[in-house]
Amino acid sequence: MLEVRDLTKRYGSVVALDGASFSAPTGRLVGFLGPNGAGKTTTMRCIFGLATPDRGETRWRGRPIDQPARLRFGYMPEQRGLYPRMKVGEQLAYFAQHHGLSGRDARAAAARWLERLGLGDRSAAKLEELSHGNQQRVQLAVALVHEPELLVLDEPFSGLDPLGTATMIEVLRERAAAGVGVVFSSHQLDLVENICENVVIIAKGRIVAEGEIDQLKRSSGRRHLDVEVTGGDGAWIEGLGDNRVLERRGDRVRLLVEDTIDLPAALARASAAGTVRRFSFEPPALSELFMEAIREDEPVTEGTAR
Amino acid sequence: MSRLRAIWLVARRELLERGRSKGFLAGLVLTEILVVVSMLLQASLASGENAIRVGYVGEPPASFVSALRAVAGRDDGTTEVVALPDRATAEQALEQDRVDGVLLPGATPDQPPTLLFQEQPDSRVVGAVTEAVFAIRLSEAGVDLTPPAVESVVPVDEGDSAAFVVANVGVIFLFISIFSFGYWVLSGVVEEKQSRVVEVVLATVRPRDLLMGKVFGIGILGLVQLVVLLGTGLVAATAVGRLELPPTTFPTVAMLLLWFVLGYVLYSTLFGVLGALASRMEEASNVTTPVSFLAMGAYFLSIFVVLNDPDGLVARIASLVPPAAPMVVPMRAALGAIEPWEVALSVAVTVAFIYGLFVIGGRVYTGAVLQTRGRMRLRDAWRAAR
Repeated sequence: MLEVRDLTKRYGSVVALDGASFSAPTGRLVGFLGPNGAGKTTTMRCIFGLATPDRGETRWRGRPIDQPARLRFGYMPEQRGLYPRMKVGEQLAYFAQHHGLSGRDARAAAARWLERLGLGDRSAAKLEELSHGNQQRVQLAVALVHEPELLVLDEPFSGLDPLGTATMIEVLRERAAAGVGVVFSSHQLDLVENICENVVIIAKGRIVAEGEIDQLKRSSGRRHLDVEVTGGDGAWIEGLGDNRVLERRGDRVRLLVEDTIDLPAALARASAAGTVRRFSFEPPALSELFMEAIREDEPVTEGTAR
Repeated sequence: MSRLRAIWLVARRELLERGRSKGFLAGLVLTEILVVVSMLLQASLASGENAIRVGYVGEPPASFVSALRAVAGRDDGTTEVVALPDRATAEQALEQDRVDGVLLPGATPDQPPTLLFQEQPDSRVVGAVTEAVFAIRLSEAGVDLTPPAVESVVPVDEGDSAAFVVANVGVIFLFISIFSFGYWVLSGVVEEKQSRVVEVVLATVRPRDLLMGKVFGIGILGLVQLVVLLGTGLVAATAVGRLELPPTTFPTVAMLLLWFVLGYVLYSTLFGVLGALASRMEEASNVTTPVSFLAMGAYFLSIFVVLNDPDGLVARIASLVPPAAPMVVPMRAALGAIEPWEVALSVAVTVAFIYGLFVIGGRVYTGAVLQTRGRMRLRDAWRAAR
């Protein structure tokens, strides 16, 4: 388990992290969500010792993270970058050696991962000769080449085409199934909802929601009511109690309602107004939970996020 | 994994990537060719200058040969006297440039000889032969021709001029090597920052170790290049007889290599640390301008001031100023104008300075290298690393 405890970091007057605490279990995909400038990258940099927190600590498997532990982690920073004129295979082996592999093991691992990501024939090519998509694959391979215990990826899906996205999902799932900790940040909330079991949501340097997505959805006090009524004038909505229209398209309307709503009564009102073709009652989507979570957060008093 | 292994991995990457690069190999081959060609050129010019080849129609008397040799010998020159049977072969020899001039003895002993040239008379040959002819006549007339004894108030060391050349050339090599390989460190630091790869590297390597590895890796290349260049230069110089190597040559070379190592580490670390403040190569040149001036200042101090007064006050002080010492101390050593204790003290001061530079510079580098938004100020970088 990865634990982040009370992480606080200021850059001058800018508060990047303001007492962020969360834990991420291994063996499953954990989405790390938050608006730009919320503190995602700074948190990851603290995990890798690239930024020193003013307060708080990061722990892995119950112990504070130190340099030897970091060698068993894999990292894909938001700002992608490798040596442009270095050969792909040698580059992978180089990073593998930095993670503690012997020269021979490093070369074997490099070859294996290039093969796995469909770049087996490009080992001797310089990185700059590869297409953008293939460079991204190499970047992923750098994070994976030493079989890390924990993968921390900053926006791994940004800039990927559908094929690249599929490969990324496949690899991340496979790693998680192997018991590895996988934490990644993303702005693609629908994708996160589809592939992750857990999320951590950060806003203005504080964790505002954390846990299993299903659990978060269930515990949300709001529900979506998706109703299609033909022949009515839509006035039946009045009198449903506390509700908000999220979307109206033709005869179909999506409402945000309290989870305590009297459903039989609502259905009765809709039926009285016309023919009910659809009536579904669902927890909100992750994107709505996200918007809700970051709105609830009070602005921090000192400074603002960049 | 130990820190030493991380440093070694970084250094090895620099060695392999840069050592295999066309730029390094082409540069090495090109400078090699330049060194050898310039040596050969100087040698051929020099031999043309000092050798006097005189033809003599008939059998040259021994007195003439020895008199001519004595005259030419004063200018470190060599003479060659070729016997020719008659005027026709003499003209042919002149035509083919086998001799510079031909002396035709007079028909009778009373008649003066004639000095024959192809076209423009060579004044050196005219001077030497005239003097030789006069010398023979005067000695035949019983005049004592013992020349005055030559002495100097300050004893002259035979190797002095050679030491001067070695010192000069050595310091030029040193300056160029320190500068060009220091610049490699600078460009390496900026490239890593610009390509953003530095964040991946620093996830496993400590910033100071990355900088050290880079400095050491490139330094080994620099050392290899310097050894090869100095080696070729000395071998070529000896082979063509341009330079009688003074006995101090090998200590001088050892001194040059020692100071290359110290000077290179000092300057390349400065370059690397300041380069980390920049986020693009153009900015890096601006940021490091003061260091470049410092290096050039030290070089000019060495060749203009220290060379003329190698054990003067300026030279003594400069030897203890770490940025100047790498250019000044080897110059003084090559000229034999430095005491061993001064060298030892200078090395100690410079090593201490380098250590301080690693500590202070390492922190600045750490604070600056992940900051990719534009040019960073020194103070901010210092504060950012905690």
